[in-house]
Amino acid sequence: MANTGWNEFEIGAMLRTFEGKIDDIAGTLQEDRAYTQNSSFSASVADWRIEKPVFNKDFCIDCQFCWIYCPDISIISRDKKMIGVDMDHCKGCGICVEVCPTNPKSLLMFSEQADEEAELAQWPAKDKEKK
Amino acid sequence: MAFDKMELRDIEVWDGNFAAAQALRQCQIDVVAAYPITPSTPIVEGYAKFLADGYVEGEFVMVESEHAAMSGCIGAAAAGGRVATATSSQGFALMVETLYQASGMRLPIVLNVVNRALAAPLNVNGDHSDMYLGRDSGWIQLDAYCPQDAYDLNFIAFKVSEDHDVRLPCMVHQDGFMTSHTAQGVHTLADDVAYSFIGDFKPMNDMLDFEHPVTHGVQTEEDWHFEHKARQHNDLMTKVMPKIQAAFDEFEKLSGRKYNIVESYNMDDADVCVVCMGTSVETAREVAQEMREKGIKAGVVGLRVIRPFPFFEIAEALKGVKAVAALDRSSPNGAPGMLFNEIAGCLYNTQERALLSGYVYGLGGRDLTKAHLVSLYKELQANVDAGKVLTPLQQFIGVRGPKLAFL
Amino acid sequence: MSEMKKIKNLKEFSTSADRFEGANLLCPGCAHSIIVREVLNATNDDLVLSASTGCLEVCTAVYPYTSWDASWIHIGFENGSTAVAGAEAMYKALKTKGRLKQPDRNPKFVSFAGDGASYDIGFQWISGCMERGHNIMHVVLDNEVYANTGGQRSSSTPIGSSSTTAPAGRVSYGEKKNKKDMVAIMASHNIPYAAQVAPNKWKDMVKKIQHGFAVDGPVFINAVSPCTTEWKFDPKDTMHLTDLSTDSLVFPLYEIIDGHELNITYRPKDVVPVEEYLAAQGRFKHLFKDEYKYLIKEWQERVDAQWAHLNRREEARV
Repeated sequence: MANTGWNEFEIGAMLRTFEGKIDDIAGTLQEDRAYTQNSSFSASVADWRIEKPVFNKDFCIDCQFCWIYCPDISIISRDKKMIGVDMDHCKGCGICVEVCPTNPKSLLMFSEQADEEAELAQWPAKDKEKK
Repeated sequence: MAFDKMELRDIEVWDGNFAAAQALRQCQIDVVAAYPITPSTPIVEGYAKFLADGYVEGEFVMVESEHAAMSGCIGAAAAGGRVATATSSQGFALMVETLYQASGMRLPIVLNVVNRALAAPLNVNGDHSDMYLGRDSGWIQLDAYCPQDAYDLNFIAFKVSEDHDVRLPCMVHQDGFMTSHTAQGVHTLADDVAYSFIGDFKPMNDMLDFEHPVTHGVQTEEDWHFEHKARQHNDLMTKVMPKIQAAFDEFEKLSGRKYNIVESYNMDDADVCVVCMGTSVETAREVAQEMREKGIKAGVVGLRVIRPFPFFEIAEALKGVKAVAALDRSSPNGAPGMLFNEIAGCLYNTQERALLSGYVYGLGGRDLTKAHLVSLYKELQANVDAGKVLTPLQQFIGVRGPKLAFL
Repeated sequence: MSEMKKIKNLKEFSTSADRFEGANLLCPGCAHSIIVREVLNATNDDLVLSASTGCLEVCTAVYPYTSWDASWIHIGFENGSTAVAGAEAMYKALKTKGRLKQPDRNPKFVSFAGDGASYDIGFQWISGCMERGHNIMHVVLDNEVYANTGGQRSSSTPIGSSSTTAPAGRVSYGEKKNKKDMVAIMASHNIPYAAQVAPNKWKDMVKKIQHGFAVDGPVFINAVSPCTTEWKFDPKDTMHLTDLSTDSLVFPLYEIIDGHELNITYRPKDVVPVEEYLAAQGRFKHLFKDEYKYLIKEWQERVDAQWAHLNRREEARV
């Protein structure tokens, strides 16, 4: 759109979220929606991150704390299970790690360049000091 | 429909406010969000009474300020339906922020502006200060000279504003008290005839279409803003006038009443002419006729459409005229008047550039008398005879104290 | 009225399909979007939304992107409430006239605004909307400062905080005025429902939002929204700050039904000293100098008095 001329827009700078008709938005998961290029869902803020969360499903209890407190709709939960982090929309704030109640945590922050496989392989053990 | 039609006589005695209220009733507005202000109040009072008596169906939202009135109109228009309100003067000034937002979002809203002076000092009477304040706001502006016009132009306003090729809000102006509170004979349209002229509202980008959600009122910075403003200007410059002309043509077929983008009177062979707006047009017409008996070939050009500005139509109307007076009923506060400047622009590149002088008159409801216009026409004739403008370019008419003239 | 969405527990809640999108431009760790998600996910009904000018608005509708999966409008700083009230009026009109495109829907009309847009510049518009009885919900994202323009004080800014227009300095401890009690003012419009919420207590919050959606008439919600940028704390600590705000009783959670029936909806098991809440934020850093420590004591006394007042009102049922 960057080269779009004045005569090529919808009038009133109006934006549409979806291509065509959508019947029941609240009943349609993101992967089943036809987003337009104008939905920020189609954009990425991955380059904002300095640190990234890595998810270790071995310790996750699917409590969904990370889901509800994620400001960036980046915790992907389906059928009541946490299945991963949306790395296009995660800004790396680290809230998910802070609210994770497991021991050891199921989410930890690492530098953006860290190798996920390597970090998972050397995941911290249970902290015996903590209850 | 759960409301009753109203039987109107062919000619009713209405003032401009009631004529506008009747037009709003016949247009079956869905939402009116309004705040009272003199002299426009009777328009929304009239609508409220029609609603209370079951002659119209819709939501009347009596808000807590004019800013909120237009804010509510914007929300309602974006939701997708027919929306109108009315205001004047200080209320119009308070609305200004939202006027730009309504037009920028391309929402068809009809605003009846009953023209009144702007404080300070406070004044409730008619001049064109509020009308001038709206001229860069991106709205269409139509000008009524009498209650009949106020009635008819509301239908034109809805028809043009709601057209999907236009989608720009529209003001219908009438002079405070001189038109708004002066009862005259008004030729009416039957309810069905009036409504079928504008037709059912056709929604576009409506928020209440839950299957096609829309985002209205985005932010555009330096990388997008210019293009959107350019689009709006383009549509005002190229799309609106043909639609207004088409609406005038269709309305003439329906009612027999002919409106023109520029209203020329005795202009075929005029040597001198006055360009003005509002009730002054009717006064000037009467004087122009009398001047002809005195041997001065006088004419009058009235603006029916103020925005978009009828640049070519005015140049055409002024063809062959030797001296032109632009009459501004708003204090320019440190500049030539708006009409003077706009007309100068129209004439500058024409072959036979007429002599142009400007007059400021009628502030705060001060009368423009026939005597004022007689001497004005005489001054124009003297300019013609001398082949140059003999007076200062800007003169004040009808103000007490030493003669006030500039430029 | 439509059926209320069943949300028994967080697992069930997590099956919600969000109608607010990522890659918006809010700061990392911003509580605004956590609040927005809890409001929107509290219902499956269709939504008509507005936002007043502010962080939420400028970060979620910057051309050519929108982060909203429902119809949304922004007009100006002061009039988001009236925008959505206008849309609600149109809904009613078209319903009466039988012209709704999807007449079977039960849309909810929600206006979001910051504390500046609600307590200050939009105060009159919101008061008008509450008085006129529109079926709308106004949600304040209360971060106690004009965060979008770089941290100027609003009438929600608390005593002793440092903002750019009431800065702490050599001879000043910053803000001198107490925060306006907006929930009480709005409840005094005798609206069916007013409540203070916090996103950490999601169950309390969602219950209140659902209550608000269920009643007929205007609803006012004040949501505490810790601001990582202006309160000056690490983005990862947003929920920790929210916990401190509710558990210190600086932001007590309560509701006022029909303008008079006050219920406290959260009583912390272990009340945290206000000092801990203040110490966690850079905007109060200067209060820990010896000469200003009396202000911390006053803070605690004020919070205690406010809590006692709420308890008395709850007990008296007036």
